[in-house]
Parts: sequence; C-alpha cells; structure tokens
Amino acid sequence: MRILFAGDEQPYSAYALKEVTRLAMNTWAEVTIMGVITGPVSHGQETPWPLEHPLHQVLHGYREDFLKGWQGEDSPYAFKNWRYEWLPVKSGLWEETLVCRSAMKDLKVRLRFGNAAQEILGESKEEEADLIVLGCTKGGQCQWLGGQAVPQTVVNEADCSVLLVKEDQPITGILACLDQSYISQDSLEMINQMATIHGVSLELIGLSQEGAMKKDVYRRLIEIGDYYEDRDIKVTTRLTEISEFEAVVAQELRQQLLALWLGKKSLLDRFFPRDWVGRFVSNYQASVLVMR
Amino acid sequence: MSQNKLKILVLDDEPIVCKRLQPALEKLGFTVDTFTRSFEALQAVESSTYDIIITDLKMEGMDGMRFLTEAKKISPEVEVIVITGFATMETAKESFKKGVFDFIAKPFNLGEIQQVVQRAAAKIRESRK
Repeated sequence: MRILFAGDEQPYSAYALKEVTRLAMNTWAEVTIMGVITGPVSHGQETPWPLEHPLHQVLHGYREDFLKGWQGEDSPYAFKNWRYEWLPVKSGLWEETLVCRSAMKDLKVRLRFGNAAQEILGESKEEEADLIVLGCTKGGQCQWLGGQAVPQTVVNEADCSVLLVKEDQPITGILACLDQSYISQDSLEMINQMATIHGVSLELIGLSQEGAMKKDVYRRLIEIGDYYEDRDIKVTTRLTEISEFEAVVAQELRQQLLALWLGKKSLLDRFFPRDWVGRFVSNYQASVLVMR
Repeated sequence: MSQNKLKILVLDDEPIVCKRLQPALEKLGFTVDTFTRSFEALQAVESSTYDIIITDLKMEGMDGMRFLTEAKKISPEVEVIVITGFATMETAKESFKKGVFDFIAKPFNLGEIQQVVQRAAAKIRESRK
C-alpha cells in the first residue's frame, strides 16, 4: 500500500498524522509526507529553498513523530541502507552524495509549491498512491489553512481513496453506504484494513429510492455482507431511503468512520447536486473515507 | 523458454488477485503459476522449483503463515512476498521472523508489486553469480 499524507501547520494535520502512523505500523506501507507552500510558481525557474517558511520545520517534525511511533520496535522505515547516489545540485550539475535510505519501506518527505489541492492530486498520481490522508477542521467547515476548500477538492477529484481525519477520536465503527453495484476490489480491501486495524464492526447501508432498490445493487449488498462475514468482520446491513440519507448520516455517532463508495453509477451522484461529496464530507462530524 | 526465466508461484484465495497478478508478472518475463487453494499450492512447491512465492495470509484451510513455513522447509532458497488484506503489526513481524522478502498490505497497485518482485529477482540473480 502507498499512503500519501498531506499536512499543513494546523492541529488537525497532527491528528491525521497519528492515523497515518497507525495505518503504517500495521500495513508497513510506503509513506510520503508532503506539504505545499501555496502561491504562484514560475515554471522553468529554480524555486528558491524557503528557509524562513515554517512548513519545512513542521514536515521535519512530522517525520520525527512518525518514526517515534515504533518506540524501539523494529521499524521498516529505519535508516540502515547507506549508499552513494547521484543527486541534482542545480540545473545541469549532479553530485554523487552519500545518502541513507530506509532498509525496507520508503518514507519520503516532500515539499511542493503551488495550489495546495492540485499539488496533492499531482503527487498522488505521480506516486501512484492507494490512499491520500489529510486532516481538516471539524464541524461543518471542513477547511484547510486560510479557508481553502482543499479537502473538498481532493475528495472530489482524487483517483484513489481519500481518508479525511477531522479530529483525534478513536474510530468505534465503520458506516459504509452502498448505492451502486460496481465496487472495486481495492475499496473492499481498504475497508478490510480499516476494520482490522481499528478492531471495529461494519454497518452496511443500502440506499433505496421510493422504497425500491435496484436488483443488482441489492444483490451486491448481500454479496458484500457475505464477503466480510467470511473474513470474520462483524457486519450488519440495513436499507435507507436516499432522501433520508443525509439526515441518517447526521445522526450517527461521531466516532463512526463514514465510508462512501464513489463511482460513475452512483445513485447519490444523480440524486444530489454536483459536489455533493464535498458537502457530505463537510457535514459529517467524524472522519470520512471516500473510496474509489 | 529462457533458461534464466524465474518462476513465480502466486497463492491467493481471491481469484481476482491471481487474475491481476499473473499477466502483470508475465509481462516482466517471469513464468507464473497461480493457485487459490493452499494445499494445491504446497503440492506444486513439492513437485516443482519456484524462485519466488507470493502468498496471501488469511485463507481457508492452511493459512498463509503455515504455507510459507512449509514452503521454506521444502525450498529454503525461495524468496517469499506476503500480501495481506488484514495487516496487523503481529503478522508483519511474524512474517519477517520467518524470513520473508517483503510484506505488502492490500490494496496495492501493480507497479508496487512489480517493483518488489524485481528487487527479489535481482537478489536471486546476484546470489547465483
């Protein structure tokens, strides 16, 4: 698994990093920690190193906090692998430098410049991330530093799954909403990992419209319930009218992770106006996993 | 068929995983056999020589941990890559204690597993020089 953690200097990013550390300790994922210094980028020119910017210190702190998670245990990210590598010094000049790499799994820390949401999406594509993790303010705002709609843009446009962490709360259950028959294997596996790591049960909600549910979606709901039962994950299933879905979700306990499957045939996509995902993500009180 | 072609065994009780991995690894020049039942896979390890084994952990019957232990007894040189949809710190540590080459949690993209398999192949080729 490849995890991309995008963080800024705010407390919610530190909470999200804790979740990344927990995930990584169990999955031994390849992890990239990234930050974005926002502002216009002049292409074709060297970007000066932002010595005075607080973000590079914050990212260094995130690396240290991430590595502390192992507390003396054998870490797959421990730096044991010394070797010489050719690294660019400036345009047209390379230097053979002694570097130390992780022995088993990569932990990269990266700083990018430009539009925060677009840089996060760009990094996730280049690194072929399976999961993007980022924090945001809790409550109905769900924002990043400076009031930008970074989380909403990332969940709306990412190619991979996105975990949005709202606060430092234990996850006590997973609430997964199914409104279409196409479910990717990757998304099933992502739920497996979340349920295993947090040791929680799964509640599957099938969405119906005017009391009816499409046959193939209903069949898929049963199949998914069986899939998780076969894998010893406690699962319950219920049906909810799509028009009531938003209200149902709003009533759920704040420690339940809301998992939404997104796809081209999503009923929610047709029922709610454009960018409904961003709105749902904003309105839900706890963390949200958007799966693709 | 090239004499240098490394042979890989893939064991996962989910056929879709085998279906994805086989062409992705064959594209890199490996010979790939896939199995969805661990007992059948173990019989194959007994009757044939594999260079790399890719195995799931949680399976009905003989689980992946027991399978890799048995496979290593039969063929100590084989490099084992564990893939699991139910990763825990304990399974990761136990896997490494048993001498696996790498531990990969699902979901993974094909590029990730291709890279790991290439590293394992490089190690095997280096050891045979």
